[in-house]
Amino acid sequence: MKILTLAKGALALGLGTAATAGGHADKAAVLDTYADIAEATYADSLVTAQQLQSAVEALLANPSAEALESAKSAWLAARVPYQQSEVFRFGNAIVDDWEGKVNAWPLDEGLIDYVDASYGGPTDENEAAVLNVIANASFTLSGQTVDASVITPALLEDTLQEADGVEANVATGYHAIEFLLWGQDLNGHGAGAGTRPWTDYALGATCTGGNCERRGDYLKAATDLLISDLEWMVSQWGPDGAARAEATADADAGLATILTGMGSLSYGETAGERMRLGVMLNDPEEEHSCFADNTHNDHFYNGLGIQSVYLGSYTRVDGTVVQGPSLSDLVASMDADLDAEMQDKLAAAVLALGRIKTAAEAGFSYDMMLERGNDAGEALIMGGVNGLIDQTRSIERVVAALGTSIEVEGSDSLDNPDAVFE
Amino acid sequence: MRGALFAVALAWLAAPVLGDDLDLKSIVQEHIIDGYDDLAHHASWLALHAEANCDPTYPPLIAQFHLAFDQWVNVSHLRFGPSEVDDRAFALAFWPDPRSATPKALSALMRNQDESVLTPEAFKDVSVAARGFYALEHLLFDPAFAPKSAPDYHCALTRAISREILANAIALRDDWRESYGALLVTTENDTYRTSTEAARQLFTALSAGLEFTSQTRLGRPMGTFEHPRPNRAEARRSGRSLRHVILSLQATRDLAALISNENEQLDRAFKVAIERAIALDDPVFAGVATPQGRFEVEVLQQSIDAIRDILADEVGPSLGIAAGFNSMDGD
Repeated sequence: MKILTLAKGALALGLGTAATAGGHADKAAVLDTYADIAEATYADSLVTAQQLQSAVEALLANPSAEALESAKSAWLAARVPYQQSEVFRFGNAIVDDWEGKVNAWPLDEGLIDYVDASYGGPTDENEAAVLNVIANASFTLSGQTVDASVITPALLEDTLQEADGVEANVATGYHAIEFLLWGQDLNGHGAGAGTRPWTDYALGATCTGGNCERRGDYLKAATDLLISDLEWMVSQWGPDGAARAEATADADAGLATILTGMGSLSYGETAGERMRLGVMLNDPEEEHSCFADNTHNDHFYNGLGIQSVYLGSYTRVDGTVVQGPSLSDLVASMDADLDAEMQDKLAAAVLALGRIKTAAEAGFSYDMMLERGNDAGEALIMGGVNGLIDQTRSIERVVAALGTSIEVEGSDSLDNPDAVFE
Repeated sequence: MRGALFAVALAWLAAPVLGDDLDLKSIVQEHIIDGYDDLAHHASWLALHAEANCDPTYPPLIAQFHLAFDQWVNVSHLRFGPSEVDDRAFALAFWPDPRSATPKALSALMRNQDESVLTPEAFKDVSVAARGFYALEHLLFDPAFAPKSAPDYHCALTRAISREILANAIALRDDWRESYGALLVTTENDTYRTSTEAARQLFTALSAGLEFTSQTRLGRPMGTFEHPRPNRAEARRSGRSLRHVILSLQATRDLAALISNENEQLDRAFKVAIERAIALDDPVFAGVATPQGRFEVEVLQQSIDAIRDILADEVGPSLGIAAGFNSMDGD
C-alpha cells in the first residue's frame, strides 16, 4: 500500500520534469495498479471461498438446518469479490480460458442431481440434461461407460464439465455449488429462492432426495476444486505470475486489455446476455444466480468492478483499499472532459444497478421483475442495461482517445486460421 | 456551421485519411433506409396475406414469408440505434436459441390458449421468443406446431406475429427516416459527436454482421468435428440456412463498398465468399455431419474470415477506426 502511494507521488514529480518519460511511466504505473487490483480481487475470492469450504465441511460433518444456512451465507459472501473480478475476464486470455471452470452458466442442473418433473428430459441440445450423477454410480456419456462410483474433483473436471461438448453441462464452479446448496427455485416468478432441505445431506434414515452421501461427496469435490482453481488464478497475478506479466508487458496492449474487459463485460455479457435476454424472454431461468436469487448482486458487483478498474481503487473484503495511478488519471491528463464523462457514466450505471439491488433486497426479487407485464421490474432492469450500454459508448471514446484498439477474445478462426482444420 | 467546418478540418489535419471522408448520407439513404423500406413493404404484404388466409398451406402466405424474411436478413447486421429501441430487432428475429426458448414459449401460448394474441398491446409483452420471423417459421413449417389441434388459436397467433412484424418494421423505418438517420449523417450530437464516431458505428455493424455469419450462422451447425450440430442451423425448418448466409454476405458487401470507397481487395474477398456459398449445394447445412460436407462449410467460413481480416487489418486502419464493442463480445 505504502509503496503504491509513494509511486504515485514520484510520478507526479516526474511529470513536471520530464513529460515524455513521464508519459510512458504513467501507462506502466496504471497497469501495475490494474494487476494489483486483480491480485487482490482474486485473493479475496479465495479467502471467502475458503470460508465457504469450512462451512461445507461443517455441514457434511454435522448436517443441520443451521449448518446449511451457514454454508449458503458463505457462498453469498464469496460472490461479492468474485463478481467484481469479472472485469478481468475479457481481454486477459489466461482468465478467459479458465473462467468456465468456476463461473460457467447457465446450467442444465439435472446433470448433477435430482430435479422437478417440470424440468423435462433430455433435449435436442443436451442428451445429458437429466443424467443425475449423484444418483448414478455408472452411466454412459458420449458412447463411453463412465465409472462414477467415487465422486472426485477429477471426475467433475475431466469427465462431466462440458460433457458431450455441451456448455450447459456445468459440473463445477460457483453455480454448481449454488444448486447443491439451494436446489431448484420452483417459485417461477413468485418470491423465494430454492428450498433444498438440509436433510438432503443427512445420513441414514433422515436422508431426503436419496444418495445423501454422494451428494455430500459432490459438494465437497466441487468446493475443493473451486479453491484449487482460485489459488491458481491468484498466483497468475502474483509478482511472477503469467497474467500479470502479460497484462503489463506492453503499455498500449495493456491499456487495450483493461478497456476490452470493461467494454465486453458491460455490453455483450452483462447488459446483453445476462440482463436484457431475461427481460425479453420473461424467463426466471435466465437469472444468473437462479437457485439462490442472488442475481441483483451479480450484476451490481459486475458494475462496481468495472468502475474500480477505471478509478484504480478497489476496496477489499477486509476494508483495506488497493489503489494507485489509474486509467482515469491517464485519460484526465489527455482529455479532462472525457474523463469526467467516463466517471459520470460509470457512477450512473452503478447507481442504476444499485436500484435493482435495493429493490430486490426489500423483497421485489429479480425473478419477479422478469415477469411478463411487470413494467416496474422491466424499467428497473432496463435502467441497469441502459446504464451499461451508455458507459460502453464512453469506453469506446476512451479507446479512441488513447489511440488503442480493443482485442476481443473468442474467435479461433480469426485469430488462428488453421485452427478450424485441427 | 463555421464551427462545424473548422472542427472537421482540424480532425482532417490530425490524421489525413479518416472516416470523415465517408459519404454518410449515401450510406444512410441507400443502404439503411432503403433496406428498411423494403422490409416494411414486404412485411405489410405478409400481414395482409396472413389476414386473408392464415393456413400454412396457403402458397401466397408462404411466398410472402420468404420475401419478408429475406428483407430482414438484408438489414440484420444493422444492430444499433432504432433496432435496439423497445427490443425491436430481438422481437423480429430471436435467434440463436440455444435453450429452445421459441418452441417452449409457443407451446406455452398454445397450451394456455393465451389471450395476449388478441391485441397488439398485450402481444408486445409476450416473450420475444414467441414473436418475429423465427416463431412464425415454427408455426408455418414445423409439424409439431401444425394447426390441427387448435386451428383457431394457431391462426390468431400467426396473424398476431405477422402484425407485430409489420409494426416493428414500420417503427424501424420511421425512426431512421425521421430522426436517427439525421443523427448519423450530421453528427455533432450526443449520439455521434464526430463523423469518426459515425464511421466507427458503421464499421462495427459491418464487422459484427460478418462475425455473426461466420461464428453463428455457420459456426453453430458446424459444432465440433466430433459433434457436428446440423439441427442448430438457422431457419432450417423453412430451408433458409444457406440463403441467409448468401443474403447477408451480399448486404454486407454493399455496405463494405460504401465504407471502403470500393476497396477492390475487399470486394474480391466478398466475391470469393459469395461464389463459394452459392456453389455449396447444402441449403440447411445437413452436410456438416459428414467429413466432406463439413470441410466445404469450413472453407466457406474461412473465406468469410478472410474478409474480416482485411477489414480489421487494412480497411479499419486506413479509415483511422477500429470496430467498437458488439453484442457477441461476451460468451
